[in-house]
Amino acid sequence: MPLTYKDVAEILKIIDASGLDEISIEVDGAKMHVRRAGRGSAPEPLPPMAGPAPSPVRATPAARAAQEPARPKAAPATAAPQSSQHSIRAPMLGSFYRAPSPKDPPFVEVGSLVKRGDPLCLIEVMKLFTTISADTDGQIAQILPANGDLVEFDQILFLIESA
Amino acid sequence: MKRVLIANRGEIALRIIRACRKLQLETVAVYSQADDNCAHIWAADRAVRIGAAPAGKSYLDQQAILQAALSTECDAVHPGYGFLSERAEFAAKCEAEKITFIGPSAEAIAMMGDKAEARRTAKRFGVPLVPGSEGAFTDVKEATKAAESIGYPILLKALAGGGGRGMRVALDAASFAGLFQQASSEALAAFGDGSIYLERFVAKVRHIEVQVFGDKHGRAVHLWERDCSVQRRHQKLIEEGPSPVLDASTRRAICNAAVELTAGIGYVGAGTVEFIYDAGTKQFFFIEMNTRIQVEHPVTEMLTGVDLVVEQLRVAAGERLSFPKGGVKSEGHAIELRINAEDPSRGFAPAPGTLAKWEPPRMRDVRFDSHVYRGYSVPSYYDSLLGKLITYGKDRKEAIARSILALDSFRAEGIATTLSFHRQVLTHPDFLDASVHTRWVETEFANG
Repeated sequence: MPLTYKDVAEILKIIDASGLDEISIEVDGAKMHVRRAGRGSAPEPLPPMAGPAPSPVRATPAARAAQEPARPKAAPATAAPQSSQHSIRAPMLGSFYRAPSPKDPPFVEVGSLVKRGDPLCLIEVMKLFTTISADTDGQIAQILPANGDLVEFDQILFLIESA
Repeated sequence: MKRVLIANRGEIALRIIRACRKLQLETVAVYSQADDNCAHIWAADRAVRIGAAPAGKSYLDQQAILQAALSTECDAVHPGYGFLSERAEFAAKCEAEKITFIGPSAEAIAMMGDKAEARRTAKRFGVPLVPGSEGAFTDVKEATKAAESIGYPILLKALAGGGGRGMRVALDAASFAGLFQQASSEALAAFGDGSIYLERFVAKVRHIEVQVFGDKHGRAVHLWERDCSVQRRHQKLIEEGPSPVLDASTRRAICNAAVELTAGIGYVGAGTVEFIYDAGTKQFFFIEMNTRIQVEHPVTEMLTGVDLVVEQLRVAAGERLSFPKGGVKSEGHAIELRINAEDPSRGFAPAPGTLAKWEPPRMRDVRFDSHVYRGYSVPSYYDSLLGKLITYGKDRKEAIARSILALDSFRAEGIATTLSFHRQVLTHPDFLDASVHTRWVETEFANG
């Protein structure tokens, strides 16, 4: 009896309700391996390449991050939002600025109340500044990048506690 | 040069990272949202997600890539092939930001990117072009005179044309006038302009290209030719070297012509001068120059032992070409097969999906450049190349035999690939006796 899509969905629901991090199931030769997102494991081995064996990767923080397992949809960040929190993500790669200019105070701080449309930060791409605005009303719960950081596409910038 | 941003993905990104490692250069990979599971992210020292899945929003986004290079303090960008590799304005922007673009100057890219300008330049340095008329004709008498000087057979093409309308082939002078009238009135009806341009008709040509290299100290050399005649709708499928149809003197002539052009324009970096070759008359004609590393560069590497990407990096850093004074030697025979996620039985339709099984051959004298692995999902946003299988032999016969052996031990399941197609070609009498031409796949493989 092959596993149907429905079966798999059902199994996932059961696992989701349990406290398990990882499970393997085998039914009539069909293997299924489920792991909760964000837990580490070795990535697939690199494809073979000709030529001398590559020297070991320098373990910069970014390289380590990149060696984490494939996480579909995982932005190159950081904290997972709690259910009541709304995330503001970077619509583009660029430099993250919390204030309109170095002389000005930041647009928002943790705890600031914001309304939909309020400016939150600037992202600079090659001297072109884009203002990122809140798309919901609420309170700033967390500001993830530091001022001046390179933020990557789809990275979480702010968590907003919805009003 | 300390840190190189690789503005590409897939196998060529891995290939460039490998060359950087040899020279102890740090690497920064860039990737799109569709490439979260792409191997070049893990292979590089650092990876930056630059944008959404469509190439226009990631790998072709010049601003995002430049910003990534600046923010990660890269002092050089390698564009690979495709994407931004032949965008003159991107090379210029890199230069303006004091980032070394690993490739020729923006001017050289622009010059060779403009087909008319490229033809004029080639002509200036004595590189043969397909003979053709300077202008177009509406008068049959003038056209006949021009046809005599170009030589038959003649291809008549509507100046305003396209899609084959207003196009005729005149095999001799006797049929020329009648065909000219037909083509001209057809062009007038279709495009409102009856002007006809004439060109020598070269049927059943082979595609032969010469690998060239120039440095910032004025030296230009060739690294022999590759024959890429097995192609489908101008997409190369099999490349080999040396060309099985060139005799020694023609081989020297075609390679020297390529060097004349390279030296003439003061070209810096790796380039490829492409020709069509008429095996009947032993004539070759310039088509274009590609101002980047080619997909099929491993063929040349197998024959010469040169690491072309390492050489690119060195030349970009201002070093002299590392090749000996007498030129680079080529030995043996190499064949590259492009393993694409395409279904040969359905007109080579792209076949994205997940690789349930993937066991490439591991054999002596077989090189496999690839970025995919078992469980990898081939995204539908980019090209269908899964890997390049390159085989070396002491002669063509041995290289073919070894390629077939390698194909036989290659296991791929889950998506359609060109593996079966390659086996058919490598055992086909036309391939074995080197009588294929650039339209051969389309005529021989009915579904192609």
